[in-house]
Amino acid sequence: MSSTDKTVLASAGFHGDVLTLVKRIGVRMQNYEYQHRKPMSTPACAQMLATMLYGKRFFPYYTYNILAGLDADGKGCVFSYDPVGSYEREHYRAAGTASALLQPFLDNQARALARIPDYIGRKNQQGVVFEPISKERAMTIIKDVFTSAAERDIYTGDAVDIRIVTKDGLEEHRFPLRCD
Amino acid sequence: MSTGWMSQTAQPRAPQPQAGEDARTRTMRPIVTGTSVLGIKFDGGVAIAADTLGSYGSLARFREISRMCKVGNQTVVGGGGDVADFHMIRDLLNTLEIENREYEDEHDIKPQAVHTYLTRVLYNRRSQMNPLWNTVLVAGMQDGEPYLGYTDKLGVAYQESTLACGYGAYIALGPLLREVADKGEPITKDAAVALLQKCLKVLWYRDARSLNRFEIATVTAEGVDISAPQSSESDWGIASMVRGYE
Amino acid sequence: MFMTRSEYDRGVNTFSPEGRIFQVEYANEAIKLGATAIGIQTNEGVIIAVEKRVTSPLMEPESVPKIFEIDAHLACAMSGLNADARTLIERARVEAQNYWFTYNEPMSVESVTQSVCNLAMQFGEGSDRESGSMSRPFGVALLFAGIDKEGSSIKPQLFHADPSGTFVSYLAKAIGSGSEGAQTALQDAYDKAMSLADAEKLALQTLKQVMEEQITAKNIEVATVKVNEETNMPQFKKYTHEEREEALTRNGVTTAQAATASE
Repeated sequence: MSSTDKTVLASAGFHGDVLTLVKRIGVRMQNYEYQHRKPMSTPACAQMLATMLYGKRFFPYYTYNILAGLDADGKGCVFSYDPVGSYEREHYRAAGTASALLQPFLDNQARALARIPDYIGRKNQQGVVFEPISKERAMTIIKDVFTSAAERDIYTGDAVDIRIVTKDGLEEHRFPLRCD
Repeated sequence: MSTGWMSQTAQPRAPQPQAGEDARTRTMRPIVTGTSVLGIKFDGGVAIAADTLGSYGSLARFREISRMCKVGNQTVVGGGGDVADFHMIRDLLNTLEIENREYEDEHDIKPQAVHTYLTRVLYNRRSQMNPLWNTVLVAGMQDGEPYLGYTDKLGVAYQESTLACGYGAYIALGPLLREVADKGEPITKDAAVALLQKCLKVLWYRDARSLNRFEIATVTAEGVDISAPQSSESDWGIASMVRGYE
Repeated sequence: MFMTRSEYDRGVNTFSPEGRIFQVEYANEAIKLGATAIGIQTNEGVIIAVEKRVTSPLMEPESVPKIFEIDAHLACAMSGLNADARTLIERARVEAQNYWFTYNEPMSVESVTQSVCNLAMQFGEGSDRESGSMSRPFGVALLFAGIDKEGSSIKPQLFHADPSGTFVSYLAKAIGSGSEGAQTALQDAYDKAMSLADAEKLALQTLKQVMEEQITAKNIEVATVKVNEETNMPQFKKYTHEEREEALTRNGVTTAQAATASE
């Protein structure tokens, strides 16, 4: 996971590609700031990452990426990718070895996108009140989700790094998981 | 780990299937190989260890090959895998150091720089479909703190307080890790060296590609010290009691 | 000194002993022969107005564009050598689209200007006659007018770029043959709080003042970059012939009669 104070990237897959990709993004972001005299916005970084991934369409970075941060209106944004750069802005997404396990969990629990009921968590359930979730609720869901991953996915490790982006800055946490 | 050798007669570079005129041969498997490298941080420094065997398949072919090299005054690198490829890495690092020395300034190459450099070299080679067939440990003192890093033929890289590659990753990492992680406090240099020696002895008993002759390098604020090759005593008396492998 | 001063004015790679590069200064002179162009920045948006010299009644004025769309949020007005301008405009458009392709947002006006200036200052590169190297500076000055959007707020921008590759931000700027008089007029009349309508009037009046020919809807070009009410996005808009006529009349620059009479 790598981040500026506004944008965070979580990257799973082949670690050699992850290291390389994260370094190249860092270089691009730094040069962008020199050239354009402003930090790269999260949506701009999202598009850049897509072009970087697609640039290696025929020898892809074996990485699954989720990019998150704040958009131009100060709203939270999550961008998810496939390894060759197809991407989409979403409200929540699970990626990596436990993604098939966790995405339905999020579909069930995360109630992020209040106004587009079809597109959000609490899918296909009746009598659900859709409302934006709080930061605390999001934290709870993330911890639960990774606890489940540690339970059933052999590739999930001993702890999870959590980063929270708000207008006030970046928060970092480490949440230990079962160590077996 | 290359296990394909076990049942094969030593046979360097088998002819490539349907090699056309423009076909190029790359390292598809290691030839002369080194086995484990072990590394551990201690109070005020870091130590790595590797035996001196260069195996040719299952044949213990070269018995006094150093698989370590010093870079600058605060870094040492140890490698497992293909010995020829490790020699190439050693040459690259020597070039790096010579170029640095030409400046005749106070600057010294630091272990993190060596580690990152090697990671880039190995990643680029694998991306050209022509990997350097090694797993490498980089140990040293980075701005007064012990540094221990791993990188391999794919360009994967990470740092830890204990590391091992090759067979040692299966056999020795557990004891090394327990000694550091579970105790939660740094061990002394002597304890670290003794622990590495013990791990090497276990590997000598259990890893058929290992040797009871090895080098141990330590890096502290005082600098790099690569020991002369030393041998450990072993007792195979218990071997006669093992059943099932006659 | 065995060289006379004039021997420094051929190469673009040699400073004169006074520290000047004459070819760049001559390029600036070329611009002073060009038609006048004016840009004015307001809180609502930016307006640019350019004189167009119609040298023959048989010439089609529309075939000599003086204002170019770089992107939806960005316009460029030129003065100087038309052909040189096209090369720079091409660069600006490509850079703006490349930026959008990579970052999915409009390129800032300053960054576009910078990228064009990067090309403009390559005149010194390649002292021998290598292919692709330039033999002289571009004989053109450009006004980049546009709007940067930062979240919900808008930032109108106006930049002036010259043959040396230098660019400066202006609230109001005139270039070309009438630039001296026009700049003074702008300086006197500019008000930071002025509306885009006020700026339109100032631009047209100033242009009228410095033009040698009688100003008509045919011998000027006008464009604005302002926020489109419907889409809430900055938008480039070039005035049509009718809109130019209306604008001239509206601002009392020409009477309705005069405008028609010039037809």
